[in-house]
Amino acid sequence: MAGFARAADSDTSAAELKEIKSEMRQMREERKRDREVIRSLEVKVQQLESKDSRVEATTQQLRSTDQKLQETTLELQQTNAQVKTLQTKVEAPIATSEFGDAFSKYLGTHSFTVTGAAGGNFIYDQQSSSIDGLHSASQNSFFFDWEPMILYRPTDWILFQGVISTAFGSTGTGADLSTADFQIFLNDYMTVEAGLFDQPFGDWYETQSPMWVNRFVTAPLPFGVEAVVPPAELGVQLRGGMQFGALGQDFDYTVWGGNGPNFSSSVLGAALSGPTAVANSQTNGKSIGARFRVYPLPVDSEMGRLELGASTYNGKWSNGNWYNSWGVDFNYFVGDLQARGEWMESYRQMPMGQNTDHRQGWYLQAGYFLTHLNVPGLPDRLNGYIHRLEPLVRYSGVNQRGVSTDDIGAATGVGQGGFQVGLVPDFGINGSPATWAPHSREVALALDYWIAPSIVWQNEFDIELPEAGGLFVSSTGAETPAGSIPNDHAFLSQFTIGF
Amino acid sequence: MKKLFAAIAFASLAIGLAQIPASAQESPSPAEHRRLFREGAELWPVYCNTCHNARPGSEMAPYQWDLIIMHMRTLGNLPAGDVRAIVEYLKAR
Repeated sequence: MAGFARAADSDTSAAELKEIKSEMRQMREERKRDREVIRSLEVKVQQLESKDSRVEATTQQLRSTDQKLQETTLELQQTNAQVKTLQTKVEAPIATSEFGDAFSKYLGTHSFTVTGAAGGNFIYDQQSSSIDGLHSASQNSFFFDWEPMILYRPTDWILFQGVISTAFGSTGTGADLSTADFQIFLNDYMTVEAGLFDQPFGDWYETQSPMWVNRFVTAPLPFGVEAVVPPAELGVQLRGGMQFGALGQDFDYTVWGGNGPNFSSSVLGAALSGPTAVANSQTNGKSIGARFRVYPLPVDSEMGRLELGASTYNGKWSNGNWYNSWGVDFNYFVGDLQARGEWMESYRQMPMGQNTDHRQGWYLQAGYFLTHLNVPGLPDRLNGYIHRLEPLVRYSGVNQRGVSTDDIGAATGVGQGGFQVGLVPDFGINGSPATWAPHSREVALALDYWIAPSIVWQNEFDIELPEAGGLFVSSTGAETPAGSIPNDHAFLSQFTIGF
Repeated sequence: MKKLFAAIAFASLAIGLAQIPASAQESPSPAEHRRLFREGAELWPVYCNTCHNARPGSEMAPYQWDLIIMHMRTLGNLPAGDVRAIVEYLKAR
């Protein structure tokens, strides 16, 4: 049994061994397959690892690209904003002040321009009879006057201005120097003006005498052939203006000194002429003058603008004889109405114990623009013409003790007012003998047609109404009563451009 | 009297000469431009019409107004601040 048992055990062990060997073979095969699988997996892992690194590199590249894209987008946005700004600037109109500043820089710091005025007129003067035995006859003639003003500005506190008056007048063509001076702006309140300048006495000579500014063709009598105050001076002024209250409430002053007044002769009633000549032996006595003006109405009050002024001018003539003058003036405008007037008086000490040469002068004028007048029934076009009209009236007069007959008979110089003497019309002077009366009076009616603010066609009708009295004085000083002087009439038509 | 007048004139000139600007004025800021323009528009018809018809800014080039307004400032004794406003208005047309 034991052997059988051992035999049986031996058969079992062999089978088991065989089985174990088989299992071991399988296991080796499986191990081999596993190794192959592992190897395959390792290859795959390597491949995956390789792929992953590439993915990482790609991701990094993508991140870098994204960052660049963001930066580019930001730059693009900034560029777009700049483009929009530029487009806005390009599309928007250039501010005129900017363009002006740029153009001024282009022109340079020294600037120069020409302004002034030109005018042509026709004067018909009815001379009813002779005056003091001097021949007279009605006259009619054309005249032309050109007064260029040169302005030169080397810096913003220095200006030079000069006016040359050229004309074809009663003595043919001619030219003279009306004004030439330096203006130095010291500060906001002080300006020095030095040279040959219009007399800053009242308003007429300085601001109202330019032909396009004067509402009439002629000058008022006190500024015509029988001037009461000299029209010009050679010297130095100190002047300025300041605001003392609300906007428009101003005060201004002008003080000056110069060579002094000059007369055509030493007889009573001699006409005033230009300032005492340079290097003349009679320049020892100088002149001084002052003018003060106040503008009491504020701009916001809408009550218009009122000017009240007072002037004085005093000096020596003929190297020792005194001359004194003073005057007051006003100017008021509101809406379409403008009125102005001046009153002045002068005393001249005469040589050799003669009586004082006493003169007075005045004028009062008013004008009204028909800008707002609409005549019912008239077409708009005709009403448009009416709107350009300005009817005016002026009353002026001079009182003086005597008039020099030498001045009446002479005809010298050219230009408007002041220097012109003679019994003939000229630019700004109707030529009537009645204007030479010692007590001359004149009513002037005018109708201006304004083509533009500085282009005007003026028509004036003068009615001379001299009063009796006064003296005619010969060159030797002989005096004869002036007697009655006829009432003359004159018509003047003038086209003027201010430029 | 003459000596007093001369002394006053000399003192005034001395004060003024000491204040002469060494260089051109600085350009105003945009806000100041607008303020001057508004004030100039208010003053232009009043100040200019005091002596003559007010002429529109378009008649002249801006650089010409710089010269003309200096001359007008002297003739009219206009306050300097008002002149700056008027020329600002004229030059903007």
